[in-house]
Amino acid sequence: MATQKAFYFDASACNGCKACMIACKSKNALPVGVNFRRVLQYGGGAWVPDPEYPDFLQPSGLFAYSLSVACMHCQNAPCVNICPAKAIEKRDDGIVLVDEDKCIGCHYCEWACPYGAPQFDADKGTMIKCDFCVDLIDQGEAPYCVASCPMRALDFGELDELRAKYGTVSAVAPLPPADLTDPAFVMTPHRDAQPVGQGTGRIYDDEV
Amino acid sequence: MNTREWALVAFTILAQMSVGSFLVLGAVHFLAKRKAGEAEADRLSDRALLAIGPVLILGMIASLFHLENPANAYRAVMNIGSSWLSREIFFGVLFAAVGFLFAIMQWRKLASPTVRIAVAGVAALIGVALVYSMARVYMLPNQPSWNSAATPLSFFATTLLLGALAMGAAFSVNYTYLKARRQPALQTQSDLLRDALRWIALASIVLLGFQMVIISADLVNQSAGDAAATVAKIGEEYGAIFVLRVALVFLGAGVFAFFLYKNAASAAKEQVLANLVYGAFALVLVAEVLGRFLFYATHTRIGI
Amino acid sequence: MSEQSLVMKALTDVTLKRRSFLKWSAALSGTAALSGGLSRKLGPAPSEFARAAASEGEWITAACWHNCGGQRCLLKAQVVDGVVKKVKTDDTHPDSIELPQIRGCARGRAQAQHVFGADRLKYPMKRKNWAPGGGKKELRGRDEWERISWDEALDLIADELKRIIDTYGNEGILEVGSTLGGVFTLLGGAVRPWGTTSWGTWYYTGDIVGLGDGLTNTTHNDRIELQKSNLIVIWGGNPAWSAQGNNMKYFLDAKRAGAKFIFIDPFYNDSAMILADEWFPVRPATDHALALGMAYTLITEDDPVNNPLIDWDFLNRCCIGFDADHMPEGADPKDNFKDYVLGTYDGQPKTPEWAAEICGLTPKQIRYLARTIGSTPKVSLLTAWAPARVNDADSWPHMFMTLGAMTGHIGKSGSCTGVSCWERSADGGPFLIGAGGAGNPRVQNENAIRTQINNGELWNAVLTGQYTAGYNDVRNVNIQAIIHDGSSGLNQKVGMTKGIEAHRKVEFVLSINLFLNTNSKYSDIVLPATTQWERYGYLKGNRDHLIWARQITEPLFEAKDDSWIAAELAKRLGLDADLVAGLPLQQQIFNQLAGAWVLKDNGVDRENLLTITAEDIAEMGVEGEPQEGRITLQEFKEQGIYVVPRKDGDNFGYIALKDFRDDPEANPRKTESGLMEIYCPAQQKMIHDFGFTEVDPIPTYNRPREGYEDTFEDWENKVKGEYPFQLFTIHYRRRSHSIFDNVPWLREAFPQEFIMNPLDAEALGLKHGDIAKISSRHGTVIRPVFITERIRPGVVTLGEGAWAEIDEETGIDRAGATNTLNGAYTTGQGHQGWNSCNVKIERYGGPDALEQDYLWEQRIPIKEA
Repeated sequence: MATQKAFYFDASACNGCKACMIACKSKNALPVGVNFRRVLQYGGGAWVPDPEYPDFLQPSGLFAYSLSVACMHCQNAPCVNICPAKAIEKRDDGIVLVDEDKCIGCHYCEWACPYGAPQFDADKGTMIKCDFCVDLIDQGEAPYCVASCPMRALDFGELDELRAKYGTVSAVAPLPPADLTDPAFVMTPHRDAQPVGQGTGRIYDDEV
Repeated sequence: MNTREWALVAFTILAQMSVGSFLVLGAVHFLAKRKAGEAEADRLSDRALLAIGPVLILGMIASLFHLENPANAYRAVMNIGSSWLSREIFFGVLFAAVGFLFAIMQWRKLASPTVRIAVAGVAALIGVALVYSMARVYMLPNQPSWNSAATPLSFFATTLLLGALAMGAAFSVNYTYLKARRQPALQTQSDLLRDALRWIALASIVLLGFQMVIISADLVNQSAGDAAATVAKIGEEYGAIFVLRVALVFLGAGVFAFFLYKNAASAAKEQVLANLVYGAFALVLVAEVLGRFLFYATHTRIGI
Repeated sequence: MSEQSLVMKALTDVTLKRRSFLKWSAALSGTAALSGGLSRKLGPAPSEFARAAASEGEWITAACWHNCGGQRCLLKAQVVDGVVKKVKTDDTHPDSIELPQIRGCARGRAQAQHVFGADRLKYPMKRKNWAPGGGKKELRGRDEWERISWDEALDLIADELKRIIDTYGNEGILEVGSTLGGVFTLLGGAVRPWGTTSWGTWYYTGDIVGLGDGLTNTTHNDRIELQKSNLIVIWGGNPAWSAQGNNMKYFLDAKRAGAKFIFIDPFYNDSAMILADEWFPVRPATDHALALGMAYTLITEDDPVNNPLIDWDFLNRCCIGFDADHMPEGADPKDNFKDYVLGTYDGQPKTPEWAAEICGLTPKQIRYLARTIGSTPKVSLLTAWAPARVNDADSWPHMFMTLGAMTGHIGKSGSCTGVSCWERSADGGPFLIGAGGAGNPRVQNENAIRTQINNGELWNAVLTGQYTAGYNDVRNVNIQAIIHDGSSGLNQKVGMTKGIEAHRKVEFVLSINLFLNTNSKYSDIVLPATTQWERYGYLKGNRDHLIWARQITEPLFEAKDDSWIAAELAKRLGLDADLVAGLPLQQQIFNQLAGAWVLKDNGVDRENLLTITAEDIAEMGVEGEPQEGRITLQEFKEQGIYVVPRKDGDNFGYIALKDFRDDPEANPRKTESGLMEIYCPAQQKMIHDFGFTEVDPIPTYNRPREGYEDTFEDWENKVKGEYPFQLFTIHYRRRSHSIFDNVPWLREAFPQEFIMNPLDAEALGLKHGDIAKISSRHGTVIRPVFITERIRPGVVTLGEGAWAEIDEETGIDRAGATNTLNGAYTTGQGHQGWNSCNVKIERYGGPDALEQDYLWEQRIPIKEA
């Protein structure tokens, strides 16, 4: 593949404000329940008696960080391979797009994607997902989420260039291991980032 | 679980039952023919054969409820090159078509028996491919609770177990029908029925053992890996259903099958056999539905 | 009836053109999404939609006008044929630390769903069972609504106001908001509430002791200076939630420039998540005790030579009252602060051990904080207003100043002490740019009554007819009309359960609003107002930028501007309608533009921001004179924003109180002595005169009502009471106070969760996602439990501002409005004590016991076919 567009995310700057998520909703006129970009909060730790003052509880190993996650436009995108209707395709620039006219709405891509990127559009009966703001990208502008971030925690560009600029980390907990799909994603981990798959914390905002 | 997932439970169970039925029916017909000749074998199995089609059709209709955009359903086979889901649909449709062709040929006695056997053999192979594809659909790298050998093995166990008991039940219905119609020379049919039920009972017990091995091996295997959450979920939220599922299959494919075997070998009345096989089938069907429900309800995803 | 047909009905009430306009707006901004994808189904014909979707339209600067505590950010709306297609933020120039883009938050990005909400009030309405005099008053909040015409509504209101004034006098009317202020002033006045809200006790105490209130008078350095600190202490602040936009980025800039961060807060909040090097989980409402423990450490461990922790030079030159040698004339030398801390005369040294028992930090941690802050050269010792929003917290700002003075982190590069919050978070100092005045004539009436009732007593005064006017001064009042003219007073003042009772007692309640919010819900007549997007324009800025937002759309449905409503009422009441209405908005905007100024590079002189030509004036249709300025009016209109570029060493930097530190006599503080008054008789007298409680002239610890100590039935023997938890209420990201609470996108993103520690949850049998029932002495709410190690055990929190949804049978508020829980107290300077409320917690049910609020039916009041 000639090129690969990719997102960059700085977990050391993200305070979980969700401006990116709502900007994305505005750009794509998404109803509640459908989010191309989501912000998760991962954390853990414990409260234990202070060693010197046992009557006082102290946090121990406490950590928390937010992750802003959209479609990773994976280099080895399972959704593209497994879609029975060939409704998901990868452009020459690596952007993975759903063709809503071809989708049969079987949700199979939802199962196959470890990032929860494919979303269901109840009105059309088809799957939809982050399209990297192709309309803007094609005009040389930034995707809405990137331009929205008050903390400047998001960036985008060619994967090679982002790696050269920001390093090669592309997964921390609770993200899936990067070798699963080879995501077009580079991140700066938070100072308390936890290793993938160790289960040291939990996603706080699940189920509330 | 929502409607869409229940649709999948219905589809996979019904499709697997029809494939299993077809395979079992073939085997029984083969053995019956050796014992009592073509005509008696046909008399035993032809009506049962007709039951398989509707079960498959029902399953495929159920599968449409899984689609949000059924108008595009035809597109489901567009990616045979790389999607097991496409292959599943493809083999499903092909199995229905060849199976239907065979049923017509068999019913109308078109072409020679050899040709018909060849067609049936092709349909059987397609059926096996269908069940295998179904299993592979779930073997996704980010779905550790599904992505193991247990999925195809348990799918095939279900296929054969439900197929055997469904056909046992169908033979009993057929016999009851023949009897009600006061058809002549029922003794041969009675013998064949007893033989078939004996083998079906035996097969059920063996499959039950096989299934228990898969279930326990899978639980042990998963509790240490990425799918530990599934085991935890079964333990914490779905323990009762899991126990019920195991108890029912044990009762149906074990206890009932044991008595079926014993009674089929003795001079018990056909009606007793029929009741036992109906009971075994019903118990196992419920157990398999519960098992499949758990399969969907407790799956673990890697990722977010 | 389904939501869909309701909206359909509402939509058919307007002209065809308006209908298609609104449908599209809904479709494009996803506003009606709550009703199950209604937007798309209702949307215009596909071809029409496609044409609009394909059209680029025009990008217009859109107002974001709320009391959000944020940066005052730039929004731009893409408007196609009068319809808002999407909203973006600042991209008018490349982004840098020197010249940052002024980027908006999630709320701003959801503004279209607010303005075009399916639940906007569409026309005037009257409660079915209301009649002049009140009708069935007990049905307020549960009655049906009837549509009425503007004429009928205004006539009814005018008649009722006249009747009530004739019967009860002007004190019969309570004006909670302000948009009819001119009307009531000319009418002879009305009772008005007083008391600080956001500021807590900083409002009055901040200035009187010699620091500042934190908004009109900032004592923290500007954002460039901030980057020079070695240590930034954020004590009871969470700018990530309460000052959104760029402010958090300015703190991050400081972190990346090398500053270490210490957070002192019961919650390891989202600001701490990014910034904190160390977190000290203090209990709510115990900050003062902690600070005293630190002061004790500083005093006892300081050694000017070997271990200098105290800045004696600053204390001796710039403060009075620290020790017996520096007391003001006439004061008892024994009453000095140092001896209070040491317990010389009261027998109770304020040791770290003493403080630890109250504040929950260990003595070791308290000493560490004191040593670290005392020994680090450049410290920005910052707090937000939150720790001062506590009952009886009047001496807290005084204590905070004292701590800053002792450690000397005042008036130096990289060092400062003060409040950093709201729109001034992370960036103190006088403005570098600003708008001119609107030029409206002042509405005055010397004969108008000036009765004011404190927020904490307001609803009680309605119910009992008595209020406190000062020390030993209880007066009678008979309020029979509550006027919510642009306020959210019922939902947003302490003691809402009493407030609802009060609303059901009076003869008339009016609300002017955008939605059927809590005020409106309990009213008799509601009037639909326009938003800033439906008006000619709006100017707003912050220290280093100014924004000119313009009209996005025509008024929706029958919504009217506040000024029009006031003028129409004035007409009916025989008052000067033109005076009440003020200048035409166009002229007001022009005046603000023409008067807009920006500091010259020398940092002293101002110049006009705008060059305005005769053509500009003609185009706006206003009166004015052409003028020269830095940029053209057309440029400003196009860009929508002007940002003053900053860099280190420019003349716009701000080191707060540097002049005072350098020469306190030449640059006195606004205190009696001109110095920072650690011994401050004026503070004592002020609090005394309010008539509620008393404080000492030095910042002594006052045990707060419903603080930590009150969670015990027997504090001495540590026996817990009926309400064993401390609830503090946070500014919540979903909302700007109560504004935006109804916006579906924001409800989905921020679920109004009840935050608690896993140890507490486990003890109560609560799992993540379960529904908890939280009860205080004043009311009960239910909310989903959010279990996190990030909050200290014994402390729980809930976001303020949710629109109360009180079940008439059980009295339980399922929205989780914090003022259902917070009781109405009057302490000290009559502030509202939101940050420590004693509660008990029970399990109400599993996750299914309460539906997520983004799935709730929107408040669309008229439900007829």
